[in-house]
Amino acid sequence: MDIQHTDPTEHPTSRRRFLALAAAAGTTAALGGLNAFTASAAPLRPTQSPMLSAADAAKNQLWWQAPGSSTSMIGQGLPVGNGRLGALASNDPGTEFLTVTDAGLWTGGLNDTLQDDGQFPYGRDDFGSLTLLAELTVAVPGHDLGRANNYRRVLDLAQGLVSASYDIGGVTYQRQIFASRPDDAIVLHFSQQGGGTYTGTVSLAGTHGESTAAGDAARCVSFGGTLGNGLKYGAAVTAYSGSGKVAVDGTTLSFTGCKDLTVVLSGGTDYAPDAAAGFRNPSVDPRALAISKVLAAAGHSYDTLLHTHVADFRPVFGQLDINLGTSSAAQRGLDTWERVQARYRDNVPDPELEAAYLQFGRYLMISGSRGTLPMGLQSVWLDGNDPDWMGDYHTDINIQMNYWMADRAGLSDCFDSFADYCLAQLPSWTDVTQRLFNSLTNRYRNSSGKIAGWTVAISTNPYGGGGWWWHPAGNAWLCHNLFDHYEYTQDRAYLEKVYPLIKGAVEFWEARLITTTVTDASGASREVLIADSDWSPEQGPLDAKGITYAQEQVWNLFGHFHTATEVLGRDAAYRATIDGLRDRLYLPVVSPTTGWLEEWMSPDNLGETTHRHLSPLFGLFPGDRIRPDDSTPKDILDGATALLTARGMNSFGWANAWRALCWARLKDGDKAYQLIGTNLQPSVNGSNGSAMNLFDIYQTEPGRGIFQIDANFGTPSAIVEMLVYSRPGHVELLPALPAAWAASGSVSGVGVRGGFTADFTWKNGKVVQATLTSVRGGTTTLVAGAATRKVSLKPGESVTLRNLA
Amino acid sequence: MPSSSSSPLPPTSAGPARRAARTLLVLAVTAGLAAAVPAAGSAASAPTTPQPSATTGVAAKPYMGWSSWSMQSSKYPGLNPDGDYSYLTEANVLKQTDALAAKLKDYGYTYVNIDAGWWRKNDWTPEYDQYGRQAADPLRFPHGMKAVADHIHAKGLKAGIYLPVGLEKEAYGGGSVPIWNAPGCTTADIVYPDLRTTNGWDSSYKLDFDNPCAQKYIDSQAQLLAGWGYDFLKLDGVGPGSFKSGDNYDNVPDVAAWQRAIAATGRPMHLELSWSLDIGHAADWKQYSNGWRIDTDVECYCNTLVTWENSVNDRWNDAPAWSDKAGPGGWNDLDSLDVGNGQMDGLSNAERQSYMTLWAINKSPLFTGDDLTSLDSYGLSLLTNQEVIGVDQSDSPVARPVTSVGDQQVWGTRNSDGSYTVALFNLSGAPASVTADWADFGFTGNAAVRDLWNKQNLGSYRNGITEALPAHGSRLFTVKPRTALATTGYEAESAANTLSGNASVAGCDACSGGQKVGNLYLGGKLTFNGVQAPKDGIYTVQISYVSGDPRSATVSSNGGNGTGVNFPSTGDWNTVHAISVQLALKAGPNTITVDSGNWYAPDIDKIAVPQTL
Repeated sequence: MDIQHTDPTEHPTSRRRFLALAAAAGTTAALGGLNAFTASAAPLRPTQSPMLSAADAAKNQLWWQAPGSSTSMIGQGLPVGNGRLGALASNDPGTEFLTVTDAGLWTGGLNDTLQDDGQFPYGRDDFGSLTLLAELTVAVPGHDLGRANNYRRVLDLAQGLVSASYDIGGVTYQRQIFASRPDDAIVLHFSQQGGGTYTGTVSLAGTHGESTAAGDAARCVSFGGTLGNGLKYGAAVTAYSGSGKVAVDGTTLSFTGCKDLTVVLSGGTDYAPDAAAGFRNPSVDPRALAISKVLAAAGHSYDTLLHTHVADFRPVFGQLDINLGTSSAAQRGLDTWERVQARYRDNVPDPELEAAYLQFGRYLMISGSRGTLPMGLQSVWLDGNDPDWMGDYHTDINIQMNYWMADRAGLSDCFDSFADYCLAQLPSWTDVTQRLFNSLTNRYRNSSGKIAGWTVAISTNPYGGGGWWWHPAGNAWLCHNLFDHYEYTQDRAYLEKVYPLIKGAVEFWEARLITTTVTDASGASREVLIADSDWSPEQGPLDAKGITYAQEQVWNLFGHFHTATEVLGRDAAYRATIDGLRDRLYLPVVSPTTGWLEEWMSPDNLGETTHRHLSPLFGLFPGDRIRPDDSTPKDILDGATALLTARGMNSFGWANAWRALCWARLKDGDKAYQLIGTNLQPSVNGSNGSAMNLFDIYQTEPGRGIFQIDANFGTPSAIVEMLVYSRPGHVELLPALPAAWAASGSVSGVGVRGGFTADFTWKNGKVVQATLTSVRGGTTTLVAGAATRKVSLKPGESVTLRNLA
Repeated sequence: MPSSSSSPLPPTSAGPARRAARTLLVLAVTAGLAAAVPAAGSAASAPTTPQPSATTGVAAKPYMGWSSWSMQSSKYPGLNPDGDYSYLTEANVLKQTDALAAKLKDYGYTYVNIDAGWWRKNDWTPEYDQYGRQAADPLRFPHGMKAVADHIHAKGLKAGIYLPVGLEKEAYGGGSVPIWNAPGCTTADIVYPDLRTTNGWDSSYKLDFDNPCAQKYIDSQAQLLAGWGYDFLKLDGVGPGSFKSGDNYDNVPDVAAWQRAIAATGRPMHLELSWSLDIGHAADWKQYSNGWRIDTDVECYCNTLVTWENSVNDRWNDAPAWSDKAGPGGWNDLDSLDVGNGQMDGLSNAERQSYMTLWAINKSPLFTGDDLTSLDSYGLSLLTNQEVIGVDQSDSPVARPVTSVGDQQVWGTRNSDGSYTVALFNLSGAPASVTADWADFGFTGNAAVRDLWNKQNLGSYRNGITEALPAHGSRLFTVKPRTALATTGYEAESAANTLSGNASVAGCDACSGGQKVGNLYLGGKLTFNGVQAPKDGIYTVQISYVSGDPRSATVSSNGGNGTGVNFPSTGDWNTVHAISVQLALKAGPNTITVDSGNWYAPDIDKIAVPQTL
């Protein structure tokens, strides 16, 4: 064994270096943290260019040879976002069109009047919906696409830039669009080479019936409004140029003969993540704030705004690098959409595209999850005010899947939006649960009559409200994500922060569990604890006791509680109580009828064989109770494998991603890879797969596809899970490497439970070299092929292992 | 072994008449009967020997001009103030004539064509002379039809007029109307005793050419038109076609009679047939006429002249079948070219350009139905683009699709100077990139590209060109290749291949090797084995096929998912054409499979695979 210790300050991809780079770039914004729409100190500007060389940037770029349609923004718009404010851009030469969303622009409210059936209303007025903030149009009438040659647009994942270029009449025109976190604005820049100019208009339109008017300073136009729920919002846009004329012209901005043009948009709401304040910040006047932000930004050159943004974005993106192998010259010659189509058509692996798909997911997370609110079903990318399922937070797989990727893929800080959201909602969730859950009309009420802690509905909003049906085990699943983040980061202060969520969920289940008597296969009977009436998401009997989904969740929750109390040195007596309950929990058995791990406490298949949800396989993934090693009884492992097999290989988006993650846990890399490929198949006319812009599309009926962002994060999670499996004290490299990636590859910055990151390379399916870096110091055992190495590191220390074959 | 021409065919949907408004022609019929005139004498002189049009100079190239019907048919505000189709008046025709002469004549637009209704009152009541021939409505044409033709001629233009096929019912006059210059012939002699009806609206009695009086009636109409000085006749409602089939609607004898009658006048007169002519009779149309509408009316009968969906975009599907039918003397008529005023046309700029691009590469007649007095600048630039007009008027063959006819299409043809005309189309409602690979046309390497619409040399492009097209957009290029692409052919009938389902080898005179593989339907599959590629990569594989109707198949390599390919009709079951697909091949032997899936695939002649990448 060849172990080489590295001084922590020298390690190239550590979080420490990221911090250093961000500091050098001069950004003052805290990593993660709150990013509500509030006045902020002027960003410090980088003193040197943070821009990548063209060759380096090209390594993480997607590109297309046609713009998007203003009527097909979901599948064709390119996303930008600053963690709160998001936009889709069409990039049409003659009409640059952006749909702009603020993560907090929600209708609805607490929604605490249950329906007659004891469940929650689920409408756009009561529960609410995420909606658009604005539509921005930059019209350049002389630049009709029909006249443009050599059109190309690029999504630069590493630098957070959308760009487009085209030629008209011997002039090359270029534009760049980004969403800046430091300047809290969306910036568009139009430039040219060859003596061209831009003449046209900038129009800003609200989507809730507002009137746009010239702004106070007569240098911008803006609008403001108040939703029916009292939420105030506003947006403003300004434009400036070093040449030509820019003027406010009624309700639009006109520009004439400009060799370059910069357009700055900002906007937001008075949403505040504070239940006590009714989720409002009364000190914010969103319209005025938007005006002040765009005017402040417009005081700087475009290059300054660009460099400030890239200095903020690039270090975050750079925390993970991945190479799954080399694609062919023919594949490299195709644009991203052609490549997606060719990959499906020819069934030939395209490892660079597959790696780019992962990086696209990371790009989305950096763009969508650095504010006070987490990413819902579509994050901050909408094309209208009626997103399917309200664009909400679904707690029975979707929001959890969104955040599986964060720690795995070097975006640990992006997890904060999720944790902060849960914390901000906790008072309301607790209040609503304790007031309403035991309503006699609620079929899922606790038959014991006891109530404690909190839980959620299947859907949640940002106002403490639930929608659709009660989801008793939703609390445990949210807590699984919350605790998982601790397992990766070993951040005790963070655990302290989220402990009330975990404890509240435990208390809920302590009150809810009921006893029953079961007879084991041996004929012995015993008393066990089971969950009260519940629905295994989203199929089968509506009222089933002891569903596997709930049993696994609670077993997992109680285990995490045990660890948390030990780490934090709290609630020792209560820990003992809960440990006792956990010992009595019923755990699922294998059906003698189907051979599957039971989903319900029944040998019969009471649902759809190929149902999208893998709820009874929670213990396989994302839980870790069922492992393909000696720790798990063979019949349970076989039953889980048989159930996963029965669920099939041909579902859609997130359901395929979940299957891939499960197969990765079972160390079947080729099956996992097949499912990744299924999600990469081109979505045509709304069919399941990837749209032109790589957004994942779920076909609900022929011709109608819906964007659900979860697969854009779940599929990358599966890619990582195929490369690294970890639990505290144990990390295994290449557990499920598919043949398609076996030839050679590398990854750096992968999160490892127990507080490590891993960088490693492989060749011919074998790890060549691996470096583990510890953030907080600790010990783990690294497994690579037949090799096992125990590693102990001090905080910030790295170790490089070779000769692992 | 049965050939595919006898393969079971999918049921064709007997499309209901799209043009409901057309039936107004019938509904409006009232008993407007000319006074009966006693028959005088008996018929008839011997039929005149027809001369091939090509030798008369008529329709040596696709004609160009203006037609009244688009504006007549439209509900566009103000166009038809006195009821449907009332736009057609002497004043309007003269106004358009003057505008045509002033704006478009220099670009080759010469025909001013009066469409339906010149012999009908505004309430559509027809008027006839004493010989049962259509007579100008005095309200519409107060100076008669000759005066109009004279005005048109005075502007250096040619005059066109219109008639429905058959003897209009209202002209029958109880059978006693005499036929002009045909002693002894009356209308009773020229139709069948049972008064069977014909044409697309059943608005006429079918003519019985077994009786020489029928030819005399056509002669009398032709003499009338020639006497007025007309240079062009649109004969409408002609079958088989015009949504009709069966014996009663077989107007081939009518068309032949018209050709004889026109020849007998001594006046060169272009004979154009309408509408949706049966391709099965293409040889007849080519023999007897100078052009034939391949499709239904382009007009929408709505608040604009046309719309994209109704029915401009049908032509992309329908034109390929006819590609081999056109040539000097007779052309595939795609109908009016209404691109001159975006607002009145009801089309986006991109749609207007695509519309004219398709017409030009199909060598369709270029006659606009626009209000020529209010062309917008973009419309004028389209209609007067001499490079695009040049494509239409050139001696190149009609272009065909060279790739699958989906939302994005590539069409082209080889020009006599060795260059290629290449058109890119995006028929989807969103922008899309479209790529023409030079291999689709059989060449490779660098080629110089000229953009005809933008009148700009784009420079040299290697192996192909990709452009972003707007929704319903197009590009039109001339491409000058330098290097031919060497390919290796693989015959479908080769014993090395694997046939499954009902697939079978059949004779095929037009095919290389004299054989093809047919019966590729409902799971029938043809796999080419041992297809060699020099190295791993994505290749342009050309598939030569025979298909009398549009068909589809999934084409894949080495067991991949493949690509759905829509094969345009080759026109009949004896003609071979080719389209190309992109497929990944590995160095060494590969398989390429044509799978009919759950529908009907074309018959396959061979594939050709590039020897280099």
